[in-house]
Amino acid sequence: MVIERIDETLPGAVLDRHAFRGDQTIVVGRDRLLEVIDLIYKEGFQLLLDVTAVDGGQRDPRFDVVYHLLNLTSQERLRIKVRVGERESVPSLVSRFKSADWAERETMDMFGIPFEGHPDPRRLLMWEDFPGHPLRKDFPLDGGDVFCSQDIGASFSPDARSPHV
Amino acid sequence: MIKDWRPDAPDPPMTDPTHPFLPVLLLLLLAAFVGAAILVVSGKILPGLLKPENPQPHKLTPYECGAPPLQEGARHRYSIKFYLVAMLFILFDVEAAFLLPWAVQYKAHLWTFWACLSFVATLLVGYVYAWGKGALNWER
Amino acid sequence: MAGINLDDSVMTTRLDAVVNWARKNSLWPLPFGTACCAIEFMSMMASRYDFSRFGAEALRFSPRQSDMLMVLGTITNKQAPILRQIYAQMAEPKWVLSVGVCASSGGMYRTYSTLQGIDRVVPVDVYVPGCPPRPEAMIYGAMQLQAKITKETIKGRREHIEKFYESMARQEELQKARGLSSHQVVREMVLAAGENGEQRIW
Repeated sequence: MVIERIDETLPGAVLDRHAFRGDQTIVVGRDRLLEVIDLIYKEGFQLLLDVTAVDGGQRDPRFDVVYHLLNLTSQERLRIKVRVGERESVPSLVSRFKSADWAERETMDMFGIPFEGHPDPRRLLMWEDFPGHPLRKDFPLDGGDVFCSQDIGASFSPDARSPHV
Repeated sequence: MIKDWRPDAPDPPMTDPTHPFLPVLLLLLLAAFVGAAILVVSGKILPGLLKPENPQPHKLTPYECGAPPLQEGARHRYSIKFYLVAMLFILFDVEAAFLLPWAVQYKAHLWTFWACLSFVATLLVGYVYAWGKGALNWER
Repeated sequence: MAGINLDDSVMTTRLDAVVNWARKNSLWPLPFGTACCAIEFMSMMASRYDFSRFGAEALRFSPRQSDMLMVLGTITNKQAPILRQIYAQMAEPKWVLSVGVCASSGGMYRTYSTLQGIDRVVPVDVYVPGCPPRPEAMIYGAMQLQAKITKETIKGRREHIEKFYESMARQEELQKARGLSSHQVVREMVLAAGENGEQRIW
């Protein structure tokens, strides 16, 4: 197993591990993420499928940054989680995986987690001066729009029904 | 004009023998007037009455699917390499088009072998020249 | 020359009626397709349903050559100022057909990212419900638009569009004064309108 070899080569890098129905998950400290990534890249985990994050709400540290990797030769999958608090940064993986570029930009946009060393740290989905990060738990789902939160009936403008012009 | 043969038919109207084409001239003038009138009325007067005119600054902004343009101007400059390759392609393509009918029929006229050889040799000189000039070198 | 009745050979009408008759039978649609309604729209334009029967034969993919904006699909808040810009660039007089529930009211997307109905940002004439509406529904919507054009006046339509340009000028002013992007300005205008109990910013 790749996790045992990580433990042998980099003792203390894997903080926690669990498996659910064959899905391997390891938790790695953010200072040792690049070492672990470099090691498992040599093992064959050469495809970074996704970078995303989970907001734990009141939990401390607040966020899990989640990396999904696939070994193209053995078809093994591995999930790496990095626990970060608010305003803590994660090293960017763009130097290792090209696919990390937009995925990290999206995570930064949606959760406000800075990625250290990202070559183009702009927002991906929301506009530049959008206030807040929408996928955080404390962001209102409706974004402050009264038409979302209140039941105001149809939002059609009344003059659309009559031949007003 | 067909003559009216009825006995009580009136005499046909006399055209003025000094100006036999005067009606044609009148017809031409009328046609020119009507044509001009149609052009003026439908091209100038009616649109001026009917067309909505509402100049707005937004209507003059460039259309880039609503986003501000990233690049100044819509025209790009192409590398001369594309034209060069296209020209050389046409040249040797036409050569092949000339050679094909000759290759089908040359056994009937064996002397044409030398004619075609001189043609290909001329082209070969051009080919060597183009090669020597570096026209076939893409990474230049 | 006796016996000619003028009623049999002369017809009187209003200028509005003649012009509207011409307008309603020569609509030039601009498809603004962002979701599955655009797929239904392709079916509507194709030979089976054949929208060209209603005089809207020519689709134009530039707003300068079209006068009927068909909004086909979800409009996000990021897309809202783009939709406004394209509507502003269209040739006058212009009409808007809002196709599908997403464009009409935000539909199932009651979230921060989706505009809750395009009538907040552009003047809509006809709403076509459905998710997505069938081509017949869209054609019926277009026929309703034709019926609406028949009833309107030239002056009324001009003033109707003029209100939109005023809101466009307001948006520009806010953008310059506060140095914000057009997305954020339109979003704030929509939110402020909602706070004041209004439904639209134009």
